[in-house]
Amino acid sequence: MLMVENLSTSIGGTPILEGLDLSVGAGEVHAIMGPNGSGKSTFAHALAGRDGYEIGGTATLDGVDLLAMDPEARAAAGLFIGFQYPVEIPGVNNMYFLRTALNSVRRARGEEEIGARDFLAVAREAMELVEMKKDFLNRSVNAGFSGGEKKRNEILQMAIMRPRLALLDETDSGLDIDALQIIAAGVNSLRSPERSVVIITHYQRLLDYIKPDVVHVLVGGRIVDSGDHTLAHYLEDHGYANFVNHDPDSAPGRPLTGTAS
Amino acid sequence: MTAQVATSAHSNPLDLHGADRLDDVSRPTKHDDAWRYAPHDLLARLLFGSTTATAQQAPAVAVNRIPQLDGPRIVIVNGVIDVDQSQIAALPDGLRISTFAGSATEPTDPADDVDSGFAADAFLIAIERFGSGGVAIEVTDGHHLDVPIHLVDLVAPNQTRNTPSRSAVVRLGEKSSATIVETRIGTGPVFGGLNTRTSITLESNAALEHILLQNLPETQIHLGRVEVSQHAGSTLRAHSFNLGASYGRVAYEVHLLGAGGQADLSGLYFGTGAQTLDQQITVVHSARDCTSRQSYRGVLDDESTGVFNGGIDVRPGADGTDAQQSNDNLLLSDRAEANTQPRLEILADDVACKHGATVGQLDDSALYYLRTRGITANDARRLLIDAFASQAVDNIESDAVRAWIRARIGASHA
Repeated sequence: MLMVENLSTSIGGTPILEGLDLSVGAGEVHAIMGPNGSGKSTFAHALAGRDGYEIGGTATLDGVDLLAMDPEARAAAGLFIGFQYPVEIPGVNNMYFLRTALNSVRRARGEEEIGARDFLAVAREAMELVEMKKDFLNRSVNAGFSGGEKKRNEILQMAIMRPRLALLDETDSGLDIDALQIIAAGVNSLRSPERSVVIITHYQRLLDYIKPDVVHVLVGGRIVDSGDHTLAHYLEDHGYANFVNHDPDSAPGRPLTGTAS
Repeated sequence: MTAQVATSAHSNPLDLHGADRLDDVSRPTKHDDAWRYAPHDLLARLLFGSTTATAQQAPAVAVNRIPQLDGPRIVIVNGVIDVDQSQIAALPDGLRISTFAGSATEPTDPADDVDSGFAADAFLIAIERFGSGGVAIEVTDGHHLDVPIHLVDLVAPNQTRNTPSRSAVVRLGEKSSATIVETRIGTGPVFGGLNTRTSITLESNAALEHILLQNLPETQIHLGRVEVSQHAGSTLRAHSFNLGASYGRVAYEVHLLGAGGQADLSGLYFGTGAQTLDQQITVVHSARDCTSRQSYRGVLDDESTGVFNGGIDVRPGADGTDAQQSNDNLLLSDRAEANTQPRLEILADDVACKHGATVGQLDDSALYYLRTRGITANDARRLLIDAFASQAVDNIESDAVRAWIRARIGASHA
């Protein structure tokens, strides 16, 4: 479904990603873990289409070249990014925003737009998923939301947009355990053979609730190791020290006994 | 209200020499703070002609532009009331509308003219000298009008007299309330302008919502002046939408004369092309325990210029004053310009006074966020601009007027 090959990005000549390869199959959940500054968020935003990167390599979703498209076209192609820092937009009503987003994507795909009443039903269902109160829809987008509310709003958007591929960038950061569980439950209920998820995180904590099929270690702009969910536990216990300043082409960064397969 | 003809009783230094235009002495210059950003070359070309010379029936194309609002309507074409287009028969109880010719207001006896302090300028004098008459609106004590009164100015300049000058005099009696909407529209490719004066008196505990929508074509100049005298416990909510004209000037001067008055002024200006949209706002606190708010927002695209010159003037003895002012500007182009100037003069004790101004651009991170949700770059821009501007519309009380203003703003800046 998602094929990333030799992806490189730099900002103003400073390299961030240096030849990243990743392949995510339909219905799979992958986790990308890595220390601060390893390029995790850059990876998500390079795929989502943020301005300001010099980009090399390829990235396709269902065979479609993502990197050639505007951000809105990538969304229409089925990509969703959950922001680490969702943007506050005072004065834009959340409900209106959500419906505009869904209808923009539907329009781009040549589908019929959804009316206000039908949309309300869609929104209500999505809100139940992330245990959101009703008044939530009438507030401005993320404005004055708590950290947990902002993250739940991201998952709400994912539930409404029904993407082919969701990139969740540090969705667990700043959450207490209750909010973490709500978000995990929301994501789990959206898992399907038709939908893939890439979870970007520092910590293994979220992965206790959303069990990934594959865990990748991102260090220095490249994926230096991949394994099953036990790799997350290894990282939790040992940190990233064994991977930092390590040449992935020479030898494994962790003892082979740490790999459960 | 009786018909009055302008007298020469004024001994204003800005006197007029010519018959129909302001001469070099009378005209303001760039050195006058309140006229700093005005297009002085164009102002010199305005011909403030007399009245009946320009009276004409509204061209059909123009009539079609007259917006419909339920309620009494007064249509003024080139400064002259067009009875056919107006609806001033069968007025609701408590409302009186009459017309007068000539000068703006009745000359008052200086002895009981407690509020003669409205700043004079050349255009005020032009109205007093060449005013084509106007309309007097009175709401009697204790009456609450639940339909808006709509005053429509339509300008279709001809070559000889291109700038009608008209007046409106509004009086709300004690404990009465009303909504007045003033719409200024125009037609035709000919250079010209509109010079208006609206003089409002709010008696004790009266409440007025005053809405001004300026949407002249860009061949024209708008000089709009609103003077408000507020007595004890009265409330003014003023909303201006300054959208059209090459130079659109909206000037409010509000005098809080009685204790406990509230003046809440807000406005939106939305400039494109080479427009200059100028808000000249002054609130004078002359009595105790009055509250005033000035909240103006500008959206400026292309090479347009926005001006906010906002004064808070707290006179001696006006203790307990609570005055705030804010001016926020959104620049959509790097050639657009916002000029903001607060003027605060505080001569009383126990005064709470705040002011602030911002100039910003569309938030790139918000644009990106919206686009990642599939919203096109254009739609995302519009969404953010609307969000910025909507604050000025949201606090209009009447649902019908609010919806109508929204539609008008959308139509002129689609």
